[in-house]
Amino acid sequence: MNLYVAALGFGLVSVSVIAIAAVGFTMQFGITNMINLAYGEVMIVCAYAAFYVNRAGVNIWIAMIAGAFVGAVLSFLLNRFLYAPFQRRGTNLIVMVIVSLAASLMIANVLLPIVGYYTSSYQVDQGPLLRSNGLVLTTAQIAIIAVAVVLMLAIHGLLRYTRLGKAMRATAANPTLARNCGIPTQRVIDVVWLVTGALCGVAGVVAGMNSDNFSVASGAGYLITIIAAAVLGGAGQPYGAMIGALIIGMVTELSAAAIAPEYKDVVAFGMLVLVMVLRPQGLLAKRGALAAAG
Amino acid sequence: MNSYYAATLLVYAGVDIIACLAINLQFGISGIVNFSFIVFQAVGAYTAAVLSMPPDTANGGYQIYVGGFQLPFPIPWIGGALAGGLLAIPVGLVVLRKLRTDYQAIALLVLSVIANSVITNARPFLNGAAGIAQVPGPFSDQVDPLSQSYQLLYVGLTVPCVVLVWIVASRIVNSPYGRSLRAMREHELAASALGKNPVQLKMTIFIVGGVIGGLSGAILVGYITLWAPSVWLYPETIILFAAVIVGGRGNNVGAILGALLVPVGFEEATRLIPPVIFGWMPPPNLIPALQWVVIGLLIIGFLWFRPQGVRPEPRRVFEGAPVREDPQDARTA
Repeated sequence: MNLYVAALGFGLVSVSVIAIAAVGFTMQFGITNMINLAYGEVMIVCAYAAFYVNRAGVNIWIAMIAGAFVGAVLSFLLNRFLYAPFQRRGTNLIVMVIVSLAASLMIANVLLPIVGYYTSSYQVDQGPLLRSNGLVLTTAQIAIIAVAVVLMLAIHGLLRYTRLGKAMRATAANPTLARNCGIPTQRVIDVVWLVTGALCGVAGVVAGMNSDNFSVASGAGYLITIIAAAVLGGAGQPYGAMIGALIIGMVTELSAAAIAPEYKDVVAFGMLVLVMVLRPQGLLAKRGALAAAG
Repeated sequence: MNSYYAATLLVYAGVDIIACLAINLQFGISGIVNFSFIVFQAVGAYTAAVLSMPPDTANGGYQIYVGGFQLPFPIPWIGGALAGGLLAIPVGLVVLRKLRTDYQAIALLVLSVIANSVITNARPFLNGAAGIAQVPGPFSDQVDPLSQSYQLLYVGLTVPCVVLVWIVASRIVNSPYGRSLRAMREHELAASALGKNPVQLKMTIFIVGGVIGGLSGAILVGYITLWAPSVWLYPETIILFAAVIVGGRGNNVGAILGALLVPVGFEEATRLIPPVIFGWMPPPNLIPALQWVVIGLLIIGFLWFRPQGVRPEPRRVFEGAPVREDPQDARTA
């Protein structure tokens, strides 16, 4: 039984990591209608950016900001110079998916000769262990959870209570109508890529911290978990992605305790298949932050 | 150029042509983005391998796998093709029925990554990450596989398969069924309004593609005698997509041209890069990584500058139909 309580603790950390990543991914899809398959690779780029800053002697929590910055800039450029031009041409969804997969391949293989094949890991001061009722977490793990909670609240605040968030929701609901109402959708979309890119960067760093080590090859695994969480919650729905992350993170960690850790991705995939068969629109269906304000 | 190299090139070209024809049927003609195509090739290869190999207790039992039936030549290849088709049924039923096209693509991509990770981790099933080695090729018990005549024999076995797949593919493209597929690709709603069942159309072409993919894997594994998870990672599918996009999606000749240009021509061309360039020796992983970058550039470049490919899909018009002067083809949009 202790094993499962411990797994619950790991699950909480996993949920935090997945939530940060999946919310960014799903916002890109919801607001700019782009399934960005390069998301996992951008996470890895950010993880390495933070890795080099960390290795230069900077604390990992400060290096995380560097990761977020790199993520924001890279995602912004990716959209500005690759996705947006294709979308402006009215390229259909299938071709956009192929373009983003090609982008993912290119990012991974530009990165590969620079950082090498080998796995890397951060120097993290794990801090003292905190125990309660068999739940054991390091201070660093609790900090990851705290970062996730703060970011989720920030996203909630952004979408709910700011003019920018309202503009984002309007753009998601109907870009043409939003533009006609005087919303500068182009600028809103730029900001969306900056914000989601920063989320992607933070996600890359915390994912690297949470999994002991990472390499260029980790990107595909990250992407699968993120897709599973985002689709489970209903693609394009930030709150759905949070719920999806909660379910996927908990179930994969508990299954790791019950079956074997190698099959974490497989369990995530099994849940993805179930959702696609039983409820393709995801748990939150058409409701959520990105639906037209009622 | 010695005859071994020529034979290797021909067999690879044959396998890639078969694979690209299947991708063209699914992606070019029907608009299904099968990002897990390489899984069907892998299933065909594994099936052909375990059908032709002795039980795993042979050779001192250094590798473990299910099966080991030691069946004679045509059965492993047929078995590989059937296995590809059989796998397409459950996958198609899950993916192709309800989901939007872009969801289909990511679901299949995820399947490709997961299938690879399952086979890598589940060692007793197909020997895990190490893969299956010493797969006997067709007639390898009668002709020495290292001899020159065996190379010729293998080319002689591959070519009829390529011709067969080519005939099947062009028959499908030019048949009323092919017309329905194209109608579905262009406008699914309109096609179903005319009484075409899109799920049935998609399932059929998905299974046909699976059979062809399985066959390509069976041919390949008999020649390279080895099959491991590292040879069917998901980016391999992207190379084939690059080939079809470059060659011309929707055009079988284009698909063949793409197969010869991208997987065969391009991979061979990079062999000509000298190991030392102007006194500078690139690190060992630089060239393969740059190869992938160029594949990505090819895809994006062609989709931007020439989405119809080198050999565009022929525009099929009824005689006597009013000629549309609109130069903007709906597909390029």
